[in-house]
Amino acid sequence: MRSLLAYLDAGTGSLILQLILGGTAAAAVALKLWWSRVLHVLHIRRRPAATESEPRQE
Amino acid sequence: MRAEPGSFRDPDSRVFLTEDGAVLRALSPAGWEDWLALEASDTFAELIKDGRLIGTSEANGVRPASVPAGCAGVLRHERVPFVSYPYEWTFGMLRDAALLHLDILDRCLGESLILKDSSPYNVQWRGTDPVLIDIGSFERLREDEPWVGYRQFCELFVYPLMLQAYKGVPFQPWLRGSLEGIAPGEARSLMSLRDRLRRGVLTHVVLHARLERRYEASTGREVKGELARAGFRPEIIRANVRRLRKLIARLRWDSGKTAWTGYRDDNSYSEADADAKASFVQQAAARRPRELAWDLGCNDGAYARMLSGHARTVVAMDADHETVDRLYRALAEEGQRDVLPLVIDLCNPSPECGWRSRERGSLLRRGRPDLTLALALVHHLAITNNVPLSEIVAWLAELGSPLVVEFPMPGDPMVQRLLAGKREGAHGDYTREEFERRLAEAFVIDRQEDSPTGNRVLYEAHPRAA
Repeated sequence: MRSLLAYLDAGTGSLILQLILGGTAAAAVALKLWWSRVLHVLHIRRRPAATESEPRQE
Repeated sequence: MRAEPGSFRDPDSRVFLTEDGAVLRALSPAGWEDWLALEASDTFAELIKDGRLIGTSEANGVRPASVPAGCAGVLRHERVPFVSYPYEWTFGMLRDAALLHLDILDRCLGESLILKDSSPYNVQWRGTDPVLIDIGSFERLREDEPWVGYRQFCELFVYPLMLQAYKGVPFQPWLRGSLEGIAPGEARSLMSLRDRLRRGVLTHVVLHARLERRYEASTGREVKGELARAGFRPEIIRANVRRLRKLIARLRWDSGKTAWTGYRDDNSYSEADADAKASFVQQAAARRPRELAWDLGCNDGAYARMLSGHARTVVAMDADHETVDRLYRALAEEGQRDVLPLVIDLCNPSPECGWRSRERGSLLRRGRPDLTLALALVHHLAITNNVPLSEIVAWLAELGSPLVVEFPMPGDPMVQRLLAGKREGAHGDYTREEFERRLAEAFVIDRQEDSPTGNRVLYEAHPRAA
């Protein structure tokens, strides 16, 4: 089974920044991310529990 | 067989060195699956063919004794001629290593592979050709996951290059002091308001630092999950990689002139002296083929080039960054592939450092020369740096190799220029007799020759048996 966590800490701010740097390719994703955060702030939607990407079965 | 002390951070991949000099990499089951995916890709064949990736094959049946249980397979790598570190590279070298990294990343994203880290320590040199040596960096892409190595790329490539290009501050001392590089917050503190208008600073530095602070309390796992749910996809990484490539390719460092960049035209040699010196060096170089030659204080690399046909690898070292950067660019243009130029201050050479003070090795731990040139060097060490002649000879003897060394006489115009800055009578022991006495204590002098003007003496010598 593949390791669940990268050995390198990617830095949370660095992950978010990649949406800004991704230009048009990232615009829709960024919009969706902010919208889900707005819904969360307005208590319309609960933030799902943090999960790591599903491990690939070997 | 021993574990390479600089290879321990990635639990899926670890390098071992055998007694006969082979380089082996032990992979975990996950690492092995990643290797199989890489090996099956067109990227691998292409990168190996054009020399951008280190030669690699499966070492069937080999199991390093000290590998932990669970090793799924072992790879054998081609050995690089001489291991060097980013804090010994020039601006041009760090930039070319960054471009290599981005080009490989861009190429492998097209085949659902990614580089999981972005360390310049994973790049080494065949002469002036950069080569990625860390096969363990490749892993299968998770389509919804961002580029984990982006921050490391900024810390170890982008910010050091910006520091040099935008501020004119050498990056080598910083990288030597901080093996993890320059953090986003540190890089932001270095940039003035005017610098924020420069290409890439507002996003990769200022915004990066701000977001790092803003999301300090969030975990990477939370953010990765949110990004995945919002539909993150590899095209976003690719767009970022291509923008970074443009940014880095445009970074320029206008080094200007230093006391050393014009040394070839402004020195105390007559034409006859220069011809005699070249002939002396060529004779010594041609004596027999060598594996590794060092040219200490190489300046524009004229003598390193003379060695290149006679030594498999020549490491050309000089403390002057501008001079070495010019040498790197000239060698790359000439297609010279067996001279490796490095920025090394011989009075403060690269130490053992990093984890347990052995993650990154000293120069000598990385390879002993079998021929050393020390031309137009002794007077600078002795007079400018106040190193006693006895110490200089002891250090040259430590290298353990045959030696070609030049002693500029006290009356030499360059020596006089250096002495002019010192008080009257200083360096009274800087004499030919004292140098020869010290040299003869540690070396057998095979040959010596006075220059036609009598300003300099050349010696060819080999170390006395211990």
